[in-house]
Amino acid sequence: MYRRLREWLEDRLPLADLVDALRHKTVPHHRYSVWYYFGGMTLFLFGIQVGTGALLLLYYRPSAAEAYESVQFIVGRVPFGWLIRSIHVWSANLMVASAVAHFFSVLFLHAYRPPRDLTWMSGMVLLLLTLAFGFTGYLLPWNQVSFFATRVGTDIAASVPGIGEFIVRFMRGGKDVTGATLTRLFGFHVAILPAIATLLVGLHLLLVQRHGMSTPPSVERRAAEDPRTIRTIPFLPHFLLRDLFAWTIVLALLAGLSTFYPWELGVKADPFAPAPAGIRPEWYFLWAFQTLKYVPPTVAGINGELLAVAVMGAAAAGAVLLPLFAGHNHGSRRIVVWIGTGALGFMAIMTWLSLRGGQP
Amino acid sequence: MTRTAAVRLAVLAVAVALWPCRSPAQITVDRATAAFRDDVHGAGGLTCASCHKVDAAGQPRYDAMPRPSIAPMCARCHGDAAYMRKFAPQVRIDQYSQYLTSTHGKRMAAGEVRVATCIDCHGAHGVLRVSDPRSPVAPANVAPTCGRCHADPARMTPFRRMDNPPADWAVSVHAAALLKRGDTSAPTCNSCHGSHGATPPGVTDVVNVCAQCHVREAQLFRASPKKDIFDALGQAECLACHSNHRIESPSDSLIGLEKGAVCAECHDETGESAATIRTMRGDLDRLSAGLSSADAVLTRAERAGMLVDEGRAALRDAREHQVQTRVLVHSFAAQPFDEAARLGIGSASRAQEDGEAAIRELQVRRRGLAVATLAILAFLVTLWLKIRRLPVGPQDSTRA
Repeated sequence: MYRRLREWLEDRLPLADLVDALRHKTVPHHRYSVWYYFGGMTLFLFGIQVGTGALLLLYYRPSAAEAYESVQFIVGRVPFGWLIRSIHVWSANLMVASAVAHFFSVLFLHAYRPPRDLTWMSGMVLLLLTLAFGFTGYLLPWNQVSFFATRVGTDIAASVPGIGEFIVRFMRGGKDVTGATLTRLFGFHVAILPAIATLLVGLHLLLVQRHGMSTPPSVERRAAEDPRTIRTIPFLPHFLLRDLFAWTIVLALLAGLSTFYPWELGVKADPFAPAPAGIRPEWYFLWAFQTLKYVPPTVAGINGELLAVAVMGAAAAGAVLLPLFAGHNHGSRRIVVWIGTGALGFMAIMTWLSLRGGQP
Repeated sequence: MTRTAAVRLAVLAVAVALWPCRSPAQITVDRATAAFRDDVHGAGGLTCASCHKVDAAGQPRYDAMPRPSIAPMCARCHGDAAYMRKFAPQVRIDQYSQYLTSTHGKRMAAGEVRVATCIDCHGAHGVLRVSDPRSPVAPANVAPTCGRCHADPARMTPFRRMDNPPADWAVSVHAAALLKRGDTSAPTCNSCHGSHGATPPGVTDVVNVCAQCHVREAQLFRASPKKDIFDALGQAECLACHSNHRIESPSDSLIGLEKGAVCAECHDETGESAATIRTMRGDLDRLSAGLSSADAVLTRAERAGMLVDEGRAALRDAREHQVQTRVLVHSFAAQPFDEAARLGIGSASRAQEDGEAAIRELQVRRRGLAVATLAILAFLVTLWLKIRRLPVGPQDSTRA
């Protein structure tokens, strides 16, 4: 039966070619190989997001009047609804963490060098999309904290000269955060962003397959002196099984977090209530949130918030375009390592300051 | 002395000579004029001459008015419905007639000019609307305004009045509601004593005063056997248990026969009411304990991430019944108190059960996780063994 099904499929699809290609595909195996698994981990978590998100869609209702109650129903009444919702939220957080780890590992191992520059750029856009997923999904339970955090978050865009007001109105679907904002962000979260992300993930994977895994320059230099120091392992089954091992660990972590720390639903959003104390965004935006607190109102006659947003935007754009002006020579790569280390340290300190409630 | 110094001295002497010098009377007039700019009467188009008499030359006279003449002077307008309607259609015009019935008004009519009249509470030239929070008779300012006289021993002693009511009120549950919570409907001096007709309520009228807000308690008290007993004994109704100005937040410990309970001031274990008092206190304690226990279980379940909305609803219901039972104490009878207490205890039990069910569900989840974790671990070990047994890939130094 199985043999006949396989033959039937092989007559119609190039499965044998695909398996053959994977059997011949190899992956470098060295002391930094562990960092290769963060890309696969992020992809695995993206898959969990899609699966649990689709299940949540069966009951979720994207309107200000029903959103909170529908999530309450999912968590309290739907069999295993609590688990699905908790896994969705926790996997979203782990996905951001995994994507950030993947970003810094690729940066520090200089895997953005040509010909993998386009792989880097597509990955960077995917990282920004992951953050956008987090931002758009945050409001969907329509609770008090997410409501006011979204108000604060969307307000930041208003500092952009000329088009700031337009961006805010576009994100909110009106002047203030309302049910229209919820519906709009829901549309982005479940349709527009997944469509773009799926295309980019496809492109990213295609490019990874095309160019293979990058070997760090230090390993390459050592290999030039002693060719025995660099080894490869077959993708199938060696690398895939290791990937599966990492995914299973993530799955165990997700199960534990979801059971012992189910994500709280909080209090339903009340637009007329005063903003509760301690409003802050998700942990991965805390560094930016804290940075804006330290920025003075004006810097050399320029609006401080605008300047900070412009610097962050320029840094993000610079990161996307990094392979265009770095990666060709050793000197520029050293500068990238220093800048990357500084950025990582800055983000860690700002996040820590925000978590301990630091005020300027 | 140099020439420059002499010139400076001369300039100073001229400046001192030309400095405008005002008499005390002029200073008083200037101050009154300044205060009148913010006065509600000034805003309504009235002038100095509207109140102050005009002399033969047609100029207002600004010397102090005799205190007994102030209230009648204010009443010329404030007692005239046709005139006052121009400023506010719903405005009251009975202030002066009320004042005449007040202790202040009666004593003033008897020639005692030290008692309060209109300007003592409202001010003379800077009169503000009562709704203006700056007004001395705005709700939050009434007690300090009355306290200017009623908390002053020098002023109260000649009238054989106590000077502690404002201080007592300041630590009461009513003061806390008004001053700390900002509830302007909470009672202050004039809410119970009246404002223009201010007078202490009579012993048998106290329940009517408290009933302005505590409607249900007053209804129950009037229908209870206590009403006639208190009237016969000359007991001051609500005050007998709750005091007058220093009214503290009531607690269940007021009920009972042990020391500190207000019932114990008249009743003891030998009386007919002892069983009812003990039952009431027992029910109140059970309800209170049930609420605390259910709240603790629900909070524990919520902290563990469980949704216990039905339990919370039952707890709210139990709290409603707790409020009802505390009110029904004023019926001084076993029924309908027992019924409300029974319903409250039942709701608290349902809340407790919902919380405990959530905790049990949590245990089931954790056991499920333990089983899943074991399965995942077994899979991980299998994978690890499989990876270890895989042959190492070929050397490949050609990769870049």
